[in-house]
Amino acid sequence: MKRPQPYLDPYLAGVGIGLVLLSAYVVAGRGLGASGAFASVVAASTAAVRGTEVAASSPATAPYLVDGIASPLGDWLVLELIGVIAGGFLSAWFAGRTRRGIEHGPSIGARQRLYAAVAGGIVMGFGAKLARGCTSGQALTGGALLSAGSWIFIAACFASGYALAPLARRLWR
Amino acid sequence: MNAPFGETGALGPSAVLWLAPIIGFAFGWFLERGGLGNARKLAGQFYLTDLTVFKVMFSALLTAMLGAYWLDQFGLLDLQLVYLPETFVAPQAVGGVLFGAGFLVSGLCPGTSCVAAASGRLDGLAVVGGMLAGVFAFNLAFGWIEAFYDSTALGAVTLTDLAGVPRGVGVAVVTVLALGGFALAARIERRVK
Amino acid sequence: MTTVHQTLAICAAVLGLAAAAADRPDVDVAVLAAEMVSERDHITAPELAERIMRQDASLHVIDLRPRADYDVLHIPTATHAPLETLARQPFPRGASLVLYSEGSTHSAQGWVLLRLRGQRDVRFLREGMYEWLSRVMEPRLATDATDLERQEFARAEVQSRFFGGQPRSNMPRAEVPVGYWSAPSGSTSPATASAGPTTTADAIRATVGAIRRRGC
Repeated sequence: MKRPQPYLDPYLAGVGIGLVLLSAYVVAGRGLGASGAFASVVAASTAAVRGTEVAASSPATAPYLVDGIASPLGDWLVLELIGVIAGGFLSAWFAGRTRRGIEHGPSIGARQRLYAAVAGGIVMGFGAKLARGCTSGQALTGGALLSAGSWIFIAACFASGYALAPLARRLWR
Repeated sequence: MNAPFGETGALGPSAVLWLAPIIGFAFGWFLERGGLGNARKLAGQFYLTDLTVFKVMFSALLTAMLGAYWLDQFGLLDLQLVYLPETFVAPQAVGGVLFGAGFLVSGLCPGTSCVAAASGRLDGLAVVGGMLAGVFAFNLAFGWIEAFYDSTALGAVTLTDLAGVPRGVGVAVVTVLALGGFALAARIERRVK
Repeated sequence: MTTVHQTLAICAAVLGLAAAAADRPDVDVAVLAAEMVSERDHITAPELAERIMRQDASLHVIDLRPRADYDVLHIPTATHAPLETLARQPFPRGASLVLYSEGSTHSAQGWVLLRLRGQRDVRFLREGMYEWLSRVMEPRLATDATDLERQEFARAEVQSRFFGGQPRSNMPRAEVPVGYWSAPSGSTSPATASAGPTTTADAIRATVGAIRRRGC
């Protein structure tokens, strides 16, 4: 097993991501995203389990169905996220950072970490749907385009995190 | 160069779709390289022990913003044809608050949770599962939330549209703020050491 | 902070601050309104003809009428684009755009769309195809014309012949309305002065029919 390499300088990683985002603007006329892909998957699952009629008639899932058909693989964001997974994996692989494990703070155990991860994920999923995006779609993509709502999201997200940090201290410190 | 290629017809819709995973690959690659696949690193942002999230996010934003602005100025990219997310003041503010709370507790965001999971971290997978559940919960509750969800819509507007200043001024202001933020981050890190 | 960081920061600072000084103004609705009122959004058919004859490379003439009408007859060098296509179609930044439709509604709307998109040099023919036909293709001179009018007509004849039109030099005064030669584009409508067809569309069809019957 390779020894884990040091991380890339954050500014260089940021410039790299910025250029990737720019290429998305240039190629596809849109930016990056992540939470939208999750929403697509949920909509497609809903259609699969409860039928496309139900999914197409429900206003929450209808936007993710094209012509009444749930086709997550026809969704740019889903395809992009598949790429993210592949890129994340290969980068970790070559850097010796692939490892089966659970990252958690020193004061809690793995199980508590997993509960917190699921709980945090639920709240994030809900929040991202409300905000029509997440850090990739709203903060990065919309922020670089100076979208007003995106900057509102950035401010709210960071303010909330910093304000609640003392309460979550045990998770991480 | 007539960009965005997908909008000007230089690239067909299926070509644009094929490029999605390639662009995503590069995104995931750099996220992992920068260490954003590690929840402890990400959460450190909120305790001022590890400012990687801020540095990566804002240098990415700055790069893309400057790149898009100047490509547009030189007529190489038509920004008017690039999709600008619509603004919904209240839902995005509340959504941001919720998202920030979830981000703090889970230590990952949607994109980085996939990177973490791809690196073998089970907590990344747990966040992914949680998010799918959260989206599902939202869909179930949509009937009650719909009115709020659609409220305070301003359309696809930029900060500079609202302020009535040229886009270039907004670009300059964000640049100054971001660079100032980086300087502040450096100072915070020196103090913590 | 390493030299790489410093370099990146300096580049960002330069690009960012230069953006504030960059000359492309964002669209100010008040400016658009002022252009509309002062009629800087128009171009007259003879001016357009002049530019086409000069083979102005930055000129893009766009026909907003239905495709069938375009195929029958269009202003030479014009391309066809309905409004929805026009809204998304990219143009070079320095392009000089001239829009025309059958009357002025669609071309005026197209003007607003393109100006909102940031195109700087956009104009439209106030009376669309009819103006082209009545002032360039078939310019008219009254039998009791003044010297000034004869001079204008002489210029118009040159244009008309260039485009294969037919100057009409012995029109009754009633069919050459006041201001036809001297007023800004569109302030008097040749269509309303014409004794024959009652609508602009009919007038165009009649004129086009006549032109086609004449052959190339």
